[in-house]
Amino acid sequence: MSDPLSKSATATEIASAVMSGKVKATAVIDATLKRIAESEPTVNAFTDVVAERARKRAAEIDAGAFHGPLMGVPFAVKNLFDIEGLPTRAGSKINVDGPKARRDGALVRKLEAAGAILVGGLNMGEYAYDFTGENAHYGPSRNPRDSSRMTGGSSGGSGAAVASGEVPLALGSDTNGSIRVPSSLCGLFGLKPTYGRLSRAGSFPFVDAFDHLGPLARSVEDLALSFDAMQGWDPDDPVCTDRPADPTLPRLIEGIDGLRIAIAGDYFSRGGEPEAFEAVATVAKALGATRTVVLPEAAVARAAAYVITAIEGAELHLPRLRTRPQDFDPDTRERFMAGALLPGSWYVKAQRFRRRYRANVLKVFDQADVVLAPATPCTAPKLGQVMMKLDGIDLPVRANLGLFTQPISFIGLPVVVAPLQRPGGLPIGVQLIAKPYNEQAALRVAAFLEKQGIASAPPA
Amino acid sequence: MADEKPDIARLVDEAAKAIGLPIAPGSRANVILNVERSLMIARPLLEVELDDELTPGPVFRP
Repeated sequence: MSDPLSKSATATEIASAVMSGKVKATAVIDATLKRIAESEPTVNAFTDVVAERARKRAAEIDAGAFHGPLMGVPFAVKNLFDIEGLPTRAGSKINVDGPKARRDGALVRKLEAAGAILVGGLNMGEYAYDFTGENAHYGPSRNPRDSSRMTGGSSGGSGAAVASGEVPLALGSDTNGSIRVPSSLCGLFGLKPTYGRLSRAGSFPFVDAFDHLGPLARSVEDLALSFDAMQGWDPDDPVCTDRPADPTLPRLIEGIDGLRIAIAGDYFSRGGEPEAFEAVATVAKALGATRTVVLPEAAVARAAAYVITAIEGAELHLPRLRTRPQDFDPDTRERFMAGALLPGSWYVKAQRFRRRYRANVLKVFDQADVVLAPATPCTAPKLGQVMMKLDGIDLPVRANLGLFTQPISFIGLPVVVAPLQRPGGLPIGVQLIAKPYNEQAALRVAAFLEKQGIASAPPA
Repeated sequence: MADEKPDIARLVDEAAKAIGLPIAPGSRANVILNVERSLMIARPLLEVELDDELTPGPVFRP
């Protein structure tokens, strides 16, 4: 059990200490704000710290105003989540001139209703069109495992804040891999739930067809605890499911008994650096998984995800591209502009293909409950790095860090990233992929790996 | 797909004009590069054949 005031403390440990009266929520927040002030010059994770709000809420908790399973737990959110009284930056300069949010985003409200305390908004790639964590307006978020390297993105600040120990829990968004890529590169547990499982109300959109929200944390228990607190139908998000909440925390103790685990072959077994496949092999061995399955047409799925993203994202930003092109991050501006010029027939074909791919991939889950795949094709690239070599081929970093995540979010499957710390090297993650609404299976596998010491996420 | 190499620079100039998207001279080369890159990444999708009966789901349910 960690000291609840230390950077090693998990959300579960903090909540337990606050609930039992061992520590005051105000002391937790004071320690958190001090850590943030000390770490920020190195990691650049935060764009907004809401110290006064956090201290006020902590005092209310100490006075007995709120109870809940996340009592006193500090958390922060990617700055595309609405925070009452602040403009929702979404990584941009342009949005700062827009209206201030009139209330918090739905998931912020849900976590605070469970007793958690928001401490701020986090850096991100502009408008979430990013896999690097770099940002021309606010500077790059820096990887706490090696500050000369990328966090991955676009939830880069979320990765940096949790891996540095500033906060035990952060929320991110994942359209093509933006929770899973930073989880892998920063060495964290991350959960991208089933599409529509968690409400996106009160968050700035990117690609409606693929936008998901979810947590990053340093323990599987914290992922499950926060995920359970955020579940539930929300009429403010038209794709939010009306299925009843399915608590996952009580199921972690079940271990992996009865789960059929397989390894994704074909597309997911090539095109990356050896460490990506070594990580999958290590996890497979620990789980006793030997069978390989094929997610058919994954390369086409990646292409289709790219096309839908480029065209939907460009359409969303077209008015701003016309009127304020100079205020965009140059690295996103020209990709958005290119997307605005692509043929509409590509988009429709991608959407039609999506149905075929979904049907065929769901058949794979008749034979397996959890499928293993690399999360990223490599460990964290250097900040500013434009090209990288994958499997001997020179490729752009920006477009290719999400090579293995895009075909999964394309059809909304739930995924947990299990991080492997590599002594003397940088961490890398493995995707634990389940069928829709079966988050509990992926979380149980992650919990097993954590218990075995295979996956871990200590603060840097 | 036609065998003839498409003139992406011309496509960018004309399509941008058609949709009223001004592209500053300093951005033009990168926009062209990104359209070329999109064409390359999209190729597996463009080459796949789909049955006429396959329609997109208006509300996507995973």
